[in-house]
Amino acid sequence: MSTIAKLFNPMVRFSPFIMMALLLFPVLGGLIGVILPALGWIPALDQTQFNLNGFSQLWQTPGIGHMALLSITTSLVSTLLAFIITILILASYFTSPWLGYIQRLLGPILVIPHAAAAIAIGFLITPSGMVSRLASPWLSGWDAPPDWLYPHDALGLSIILGLTLKELPFLLLMALGVLAQPDLGQTLRAQHKVALSLGYCPMTAFFKVVLPSLYPHLRLPILAVLTYASASVEIPLILGPNNPPTLAVAIMQWFHDVDLSLRIKASAGAIVQIQLTLLVLACWWLLERLVIKFAKPLLTNGEREYGGVIIQQFTHVITALMLAVIGLALVGLVLWSFAGFWYFPDALPQQFVILHWQSALQQMHTPLIDTLLIALCATALAITLTLLTLEAEQHSGKSLSLLGSVLIYLPLLIPSIAFLFGLVWLLEQINSQHTFINVVLAHVLFVLPYVFLSLASSYRRFDPRFSIVAASLGASKAKIFFRIKLPMLIGPIFIACALGLAISFSQYLPTLLTGGGRINTITTEAVSLANGGSRRISAVYALMQMMLPALGFLLAWLLPKLISTNHYQK
Amino acid sequence: MHTQAISANHSDTAATSALTIDGLILCRQQQHLLSLSATIRGGEILTIMGPSGSGKSTLLNWVTGMLPVGFSAQGQLHLNGHNITTMASHLRHIGLLYQDPLLFPHLSVAGNIAFAMPPSPKAQRQAAISDALVQVGLGGLEQRSPQSLSGGQQARVALLRVLLSQPKAILLDEPFSKLDSQLRHETRQLVFDQIREHQLPAIMVTHDQTDADAAQGKIISLAQFNKPVID
Repeated sequence: MSTIAKLFNPMVRFSPFIMMALLLFPVLGGLIGVILPALGWIPALDQTQFNLNGFSQLWQTPGIGHMALLSITTSLVSTLLAFIITILILASYFTSPWLGYIQRLLGPILVIPHAAAAIAIGFLITPSGMVSRLASPWLSGWDAPPDWLYPHDALGLSIILGLTLKELPFLLLMALGVLAQPDLGQTLRAQHKVALSLGYCPMTAFFKVVLPSLYPHLRLPILAVLTYASASVEIPLILGPNNPPTLAVAIMQWFHDVDLSLRIKASAGAIVQIQLTLLVLACWWLLERLVIKFAKPLLTNGEREYGGVIIQQFTHVITALMLAVIGLALVGLVLWSFAGFWYFPDALPQQFVILHWQSALQQMHTPLIDTLLIALCATALAITLTLLTLEAEQHSGKSLSLLGSVLIYLPLLIPSIAFLFGLVWLLEQINSQHTFINVVLAHVLFVLPYVFLSLASSYRRFDPRFSIVAASLGASKAKIFFRIKLPMLIGPIFIACALGLAISFSQYLPTLLTGGGRINTITTEAVSLANGGSRRISAVYALMQMMLPALGFLLAWLLPKLISTNHYQK
Repeated sequence: MHTQAISANHSDTAATSALTIDGLILCRQQQHLLSLSATIRGGEILTIMGPSGSGKSTLLNWVTGMLPVGFSAQGQLHLNGHNITTMASHLRHIGLLYQDPLLFPHLSVAGNIAFAMPPSPKAQRQAAISDALVQVGLGGLEQRSPQSLSGGQQARVALLRVLLSQPKAILLDEPFSKLDSQLRHETRQLVFDQIREHQLPAIMVTHDQTDADAAQGKIISLAQFNKPVID
């Protein structure tokens, strides 16, 4: 018996605990590391008396109410918009092949990092952006860039645009995932047909029959989106107003202030941020109750037609507009990255140069290598732990407990700004000097849930008869794992790897905080370049941010094919 | 092709009620699937039998106006004298009964039936629903959730849902195949009685010879990729 085979069973048994520990301790430790300073306990500043000074400082901050309101409105409005458009698209194209095309067009948006998406949208709506260029001078009469505040408008409309465009593909893909479930999807489609045969127009049939059964499956993704949106940093930082910013951005700025005593206020802010997120979730819940209360009698009133044709045409317009915005933002980004002179109303630059790419690629040498190393380490760790934990599930014959499942998604359910600062403080306390390892562990917190989510269903669906056959042929559990399961699941494993890499590439706050300024990735560089300096260099960084995950998914799609064809040619 | 069989309780009103398939040719990716012409009068049940892949369900999809992508059809469809070949599904008033009852889980038993009824005052509809439930032996179950009913009870609610939507024709897609034999017999009798009582033209697709016999109508057997053989 080889060493691996001997070690395999104990490793499988312990891996769920290691995984839980890796997720639970940083989050809980991080929360404690925020609660204590919020209550005035910072030994480093000789503050060891518990008090509420942090909170009173917070209340006295000018514009604090505005910050909180901005966080609440941008997250609620963007999620509501994304949800409504998702539902309109589903309702309008429910029986049409267009649903599949839209899915394929929007799918790649999912893996574009928030920072890159924000940069692209910022370039689109900035005074000298593509929107004003395309409208000038024939429509607007502008010969010089207009004097508007976008993308830093005080109402947060730019934030809402950015968040909506990022949330929409996520919600749509989640909904299509539900409809792709064999039992549920077929039943819903058949029930839709029944409603048509009962005289309901397709739009009404969707709203009265499909949506009530679909919505419960979308609730959790929606809450996740709300949680993220209410506490996100990248998009409000790049697309939001500066004075005052959203609460999450303000907290980040206080933490980074040279005045260390602001950390107390920042910690109090992090606690308020959690409450604010809960408030946003409660608002959604209330909204949901109200809609259900008022819509329920309508379901059985027998009305079969509510202007479905108009709604459908409205959806065509919205969908086309959205695809145009996304397309234009991407085209604009590419143009900026190659632009030489580019006078204002012209839609195309006067000259194209590769200078920006050359200089940016030279600058980004170290960040690029760090980005890749961190992502590879975090993903390798996440994939290994996920596979072993799923294998442990099959050894014990029990699925992960509810508590276990909740723990896996814990880092996604708690606003990261609320515990990451505590985590940094915790790492300072245990005097962890290995910045690289700290960053990797922080990335694992966010990579692991997605990798687990992506792999769990295919691993659990793996036909157990293959293992039984192999075992009856005398194969050990280790051999079955390495020689049967892994090769047969190579496709889903590669996809999970690509997803893990993409998530790691996109991390801004965890890298910034645990890296302590010593480690920069493409994403942290892109964000710091976004609001200053050269728009052209910034465009190159944003495009790099998009190309990295795309490359990962391309490899994940190609490699299994290459491996299997090589296999059979021998 | 369609000559005999006027049902015993054929009345004057039924004379105008008829579903006519005129020169239908169904193809799957240019490949000929079936050809059919038939007239089904009110209260008659046309039975279509044949192996999987012979195009039975595709035929029903064409009649409801929901032909899937990849299929094409020629021919005309008339319902009560109107040409409905190109009419949108939801305007055809053709009811559907599948092997699964497909009751809406978010609505109560009464809600499922109310969903199907044309708009009218609430109290009036509730009275009609209660009456109908009593008639099929489900009195008092209005507020139950569909999932809490047995398979046979669900099948009866699905039948009421179709009937109270006041359809002009009914399609039955292997409607009894998930019921055990005793229940199957009873449910079948109930469905057929109702179809005859309401004088509705009906098409039934089935694998089961006893279903076909009980329908007492014309039987068309489809063979795979062949022209139909008529019994």
